[in-house]
Amino acid sequence: MSNAKANILAKLKKQLQGAERLELSAEPVAEPEVLNQTQNVETFVQLLSANHAEVLCITRDEIAATVKTQLQKRNIDRLMCGTPWVETLQAIESEITLNTFYPVIDGHKEALFNTVPAAITGSHCGIAATGSIVLWPTPEEPRTLSLVPPVHIVVVERNAICNDLATAMKTQAWKAQLPTNVVLVSGPSKTADIQQTLAYGAHGPRELVVLLIGHSK
Amino acid sequence: MTADTIATDGSKYAASARQFRANVARDLADPALRENFRGAMDYLMEKRKQAFPSEEELESLRRKCQLIKQRCLLKLPELLEQLESKLVQNGIQVHWAETTAEANTIIAELIQRQNGTKVVKGKSMVSEETALNDHLQARGIECLETDMGEYIVQLAGEHPSHIIMPAIHQNKSQVAKLFAEHLPDFSLASETATDVDTLIQTGRQVLRDKFCQADVGITGVNFAVAETGTLCLVENEGNGRMTSTVPEMHIAITGIEKVVEFLDDVPPLLSLLTRSATGQIISTYFNMISHPRQPGEKDGPREVHLVLLDNGRSQAFADEELRQTLQCIRCGACMNHCPVYTRIGGHAYGTVYPGPIGKIVSPHMLGLEATKDLPTASSLCGACGEVCPVKIPIPKILLRLRQESVKPPGEPIVVKGQGCNRKPLEAGIWQLWRWLNTSPTLYRAVMWLASRGRWLTPKKAGAWTSVRTLPKPARRSLHELVKQREKHRGNR
Repeated sequence: MSNAKANILAKLKKQLQGAERLELSAEPVAEPEVLNQTQNVETFVQLLSANHAEVLCITRDEIAATVKTQLQKRNIDRLMCGTPWVETLQAIESEITLNTFYPVIDGHKEALFNTVPAAITGSHCGIAATGSIVLWPTPEEPRTLSLVPPVHIVVVERNAICNDLATAMKTQAWKAQLPTNVVLVSGPSKTADIQQTLAYGAHGPRELVVLLIGHSK
Repeated sequence: MTADTIATDGSKYAASARQFRANVARDLADPALRENFRGAMDYLMEKRKQAFPSEEELESLRRKCQLIKQRCLLKLPELLEQLESKLVQNGIQVHWAETTAEANTIIAELIQRQNGTKVVKGKSMVSEETALNDHLQARGIECLETDMGEYIVQLAGEHPSHIIMPAIHQNKSQVAKLFAEHLPDFSLASETATDVDTLIQTGRQVLRDKFCQADVGITGVNFAVAETGTLCLVENEGNGRMTSTVPEMHIAITGIEKVVEFLDDVPPLLSLLTRSATGQIISTYFNMISHPRQPGEKDGPREVHLVLLDNGRSQAFADEELRQTLQCIRCGACMNHCPVYTRIGGHAYGTVYPGPIGKIVSPHMLGLEATKDLPTASSLCGACGEVCPVKIPIPKILLRLRQESVKPPGEPIVVKGQGCNRKPLEAGIWQLWRWLNTSPTLYRAVMWLASRGRWLTPKKAGAWTSVRTLPKPARRSLHELVKQREKHRGNR
């Protein structure tokens, strides 16, 4: 079976003989519509809302209170958060039980799947053109934190919203530093697999609450 | 059926593809099935139309993506090697498989090495190609589909009837009945039993336990980026994320044509893929996986593997025209717009990939002999080629495959099984036709005979006259009529 690689490559190379000099026309340059930051934020909010996410425009100081209100509205009294959020959320600890992630997931999968109703994470940036949030998981904010709990609250900085994916990749030089996993999230989990009828909460979070943070409202 | 009578590789599809004509007759006679497909195709066509408000932008994006895929194919061997070395550098192990059986063996060994017995699978059409579920089941490994559509199809003991929406042939009542048969806690007696929300939440509950307990997760790949060693996965449900994040081991499987050169190639392809497939400007989740769990990280698989499968792709690659088949990004737009697919549905084809793309890709996987009817099952209306996001000239390739299937023996092999549809009588008729049309004397003599002997024309000519009347030769040929006329004029 170790020959499979050699065989496949040999076949492909042989078949390309003569063809590799085939001239291809120049690829058209895609010029994305460039919007100003206010328009970008508007588009971002509009697209995410259309995809069933709840977007709340607040200031940094309002995070803790907003999280509390959102959880209480859903009758949730506990929240799992990455370590960067512990300090911010201390203010609501009397009413909401705060847990941080396990030292490692191994041995805690059952607990994560069955006892954590909601989680909060930050984000890397936002993408206006598609209404997407870029999650860039770290040891402080592991991948399953934004995936397993049924409610995902995510904090997005207003000034971290980029025009489109291609621009974000280029200006932030993604290719030099891709982490274990990057995920673009554009709404709560959904499916239309049964009779083309949209249903939310297929496997990932049923609800996505976006806290859009800016200097002013 | 016992384990040893099931063909646990892709070869089982050759048998079902041979039954194409019988399958078509069966499925055309099923009104519920036809209604399900008609409804779904109308919906998907409308969604795609809305996703491309500007014809100009669509054309420029199609052209760009066609050229991206052509560039990547022209560099395929070097990109595959670059991909492998980047992935290995990132800690992801790479395995190569020429055949479906090889791919299955590699995957089974990886799972067994992990002492794994429970596998969850995200959506992967390539794993359908290899009939991986059968293979693992025969070895005592549970391999559960987790895409809602795939899960339904697996419960029903069927295969996907559409590459994007696998359970499109079933309606919600049929799904509810299926759940009631297989899931102990689901009852049809409940008022909301046939609500789509109820059905999805039922599936969610069952599958969450499975994600939590699985030893290994298997997914497909939409784009494999050579430059960075990154595996990209497009999905809406979150099962791709679950499958590639929660179990200790993640195995991705893909065809060798899915490699792209640059990270910058991804955004245009992604945009065109989701818009062409379901009319979404982007899918709910887009995963970019570049490493297994790194030191200090608290979750994610400890091992990530990529299986690169050939399975006939290198045969298509050899021919410049047929190579375009490999530009496909598996959006399903060609089937959504195909008048034949809409009427006969996805199962009639008998192959893993149905519809127009299935007709041009399956001959390379299963041989032309088993699939010879597929390229003929087209009116050549051209809709598939017109909507194809990467501009694969599907109708042209269908014609080409028809030609390959009647090629005379002795010519160099381009497609395995070429010449399989060549019939001596048909070939003889065409030979005669050629003589007739290249020799004026012979042509006129035969025309004279045909016009004089027109009363000998039979009433029936096999299947052709089942819906048509056989034309009779005219009383006089055009040549004769013109000659007569000139003579008449000359006499005046």
